[in-house]
This record gives sequence, C-alpha cells and structure tokens, in this order.
Amino acid sequence: MTMTRRFELLKKLVPLLQDELVISNIGFPSQELYRLGDRKEYFYMLGSMGMASSIGLGVSLGTHRRVLVIDGDGSVLMNLGTLATIANFGPENYTLLIVDNGAYGSTGDQPTHTSGKTDLAAMARGAGVSSVMEVGVADMADALARARQNPGPHIIVIRVAPGSPSLKPIPLSPVHIRDRFMGELKGDRERTICA
Amino acid sequence: MPTVSRRLLNSLKGEGADFFVTVPCKLSADLVYLITQDKEIIHVAPTREEEGVGICAGAYLSGKMPVMVIQNSGIGNSVNALAALTRLYRLPLLLLCTHRGSPGEAIGAQVPMGMAVKGVLDAVDIPHFSFNHPSAVGEVGRLVAYTKVAQRPVAALLGFDFWRKGDQA
Repeated sequence: MTMTRRFELLKKLVPLLQDELVISNIGFPSQELYRLGDRKEYFYMLGSMGMASSIGLGVSLGTHRRVLVIDGDGSVLMNLGTLATIANFGPENYTLLIVDNGAYGSTGDQPTHTSGKTDLAAMARGAGVSSVMEVGVADMADALARARQNPGPHIIVIRVAPGSPSLKPIPLSPVHIRDRFMGELKGDRERTICA
Repeated sequence: MPTVSRRLLNSLKGEGADFFVTVPCKLSADLVYLITQDKEIIHVAPTREEEGVGICAGAYLSGKMPVMVIQNSGIGNSVNALAALTRLYRLPLLLLCTHRGSPGEAIGAQVPMGMAVKGVLDAVDIPHFSFNHPSAVGEVGRLVAYTKVAQRPVAALLGFDFWRKGDQA
C-alpha cells in the first residue's frame, strides 16, 4: 500500500475547513493549497522558512477566530523554540497541523531528522503542549473536530510519504496576500461590532 | 518623575502599540517587567528573536500594532525573517533594541555585534535611529507612526545613557 502524500492529505483537508484562518507553509505546501482552490482566508508564506507556526501564533492572539497553521517537519525543526512558546502563550483558538513527510520536500526530498530518530509529537509534549494528537490521515477529520470542540492550543502531527506534484509558484504578490487576509479579518471585526 | 521605562511604555501605547514581544536584556529589564504587568496590551516572550518577528507579523495581520523589545544581537538572529517576511509583505514593526556593545558596554563579547548592527540593518533596508538620552522617549514613541506609514520595519537603537540617566531624570 502506498502511503498518502501531502497533496492527497490537503485534498482531504480542504473540504473539512470551516471559517478557519489558514497560514500555509512556504514552498510546495502553499502551491498545493493554492492549486486546490484559492481562498481569502489563506495566508501563503512565500519566504522566511520556519515562521509559519509563529505567524499563526501572532494572528491567533489578535483574533477570536480559529487559526489553523499547515506546517511541515523541516520548518518546525528550523524553529523548534516555537513549540515552547506555543505551550506557554498559545491561545485556545490556535491549531498547528504538522504534515510530517520526513523530508525537505521543496528542495528535493532530502531527509529531515524525523525520518531518523526525532519525534515531533514527543517534542511538543516535552515543550508543554497538553493537546498533542498524533493521528493517521484517516483520523484527520476527527482530530480537527476535537481541536474545534476543545480549548487549545492544539498540535496535530500526521505522518505522510514524501513527494510532491510539479506545480507553478503562486501568482499573487505579497502585498495582495497581506491586504486580502487583513481585509478578511477587518470584516470580521466590523461584523462583531455591528452584532 | 516616572522612570524612563514607564515613560517609554506610555509613549509607545499612546502611539497605538498594543502587542509586545520581548527577549530580555539587563538594560530593558524594568521595561520588560512593566510590559508583563500591563493588562491593556498583549505580551509574548519567544525563545528567539526570529520567532518574535514571525509572531509580530501575524499580530499585525490580525490588526495589532507590534513592538519587539530585544537586544541588538537579536537583529542578527532575525535577518532572514526581517527580509523575507516583514519587508517582503511590507509589514510595520518597531524593533526597540538595547544597543549592547556600544560605548558604556562592560562585556567585550558584545562589541562585535554592537558594531555590526547598523550595517546589518542597512543591508536589509531597515531604517534605524540611535537615541542616547532619556528625553528622547517621545521621539522613540513616534516611530510607531513612522513604521506604519513606511510599511516596513523600523529600528531604534537605545544606548546605555538612554537607560542610565533615565533612572535619575
């Protein structure tokens, strides 16, 4: 049996999204998400590898809306301190989904340490995150539902196979991505004030 | 007269800063303490300045006005995120740096980065301003408006006399 790759996982994830704000990791993950249907709730990270989990943390502290970060093993390994900061400062509306394919996918699938001895779920627990869910692709919907129903911060780790389809870079400018995402949040604040 | 740290925090808040990320320094210890005690603002302590740059980017996207209180050495730890995130997406961020390794420094190991920091900021097109007297708290506060209008990160380098004289002023 061939293991699911990230692209197939994202295909299953997109229909499960509700009104979450989504921060998507640099490189192929963002390109794949864009290919599956662009949405104004998406913030595509174009540079600064490792920062997705931190950007999402900042967003989640400034809004009551649920925030989902789609991150990778290589990026989390590049910013490991984020696990401790999430544990100590992460709010209830924050969920970090680590799609762990054991490889630096965007640079040619060189192995990361999670394909060796390193266990990111155990590291997240060690960092003090109390809600860490290590699930298979088949249980992703359940894990996301639990994250919605219970106060976070949550970290979900799903192992997949390496490999990515060949896609083009996202044809959106950074400022366009910024303005659209901020507009979505601003609309949200105005709706709250009117309510 | 309130301490320089109290006046600086009031000035920053008065200009609209409401989200503070801090990495400690001996010089800013009083300011960081006041930030942790202030219920009107959001405070996060990251493990490393680069992480803080990411958190501040997200905070701005959510409608907050972020300030990072760090040592100048933290600029070195953050260069890629400052260039490829904050600059790339044109996000405001006030980098409030204690200027370690500048005149008044007692630890030689701080000097190399103290000397390098302006060149590093220049290399990634981040405007920087040096302040060395506590009477500058109003000017420092007004950098909040400047980073917003410039749509890019802006750095304040706060030398030893900014903090030292402040406790007597």
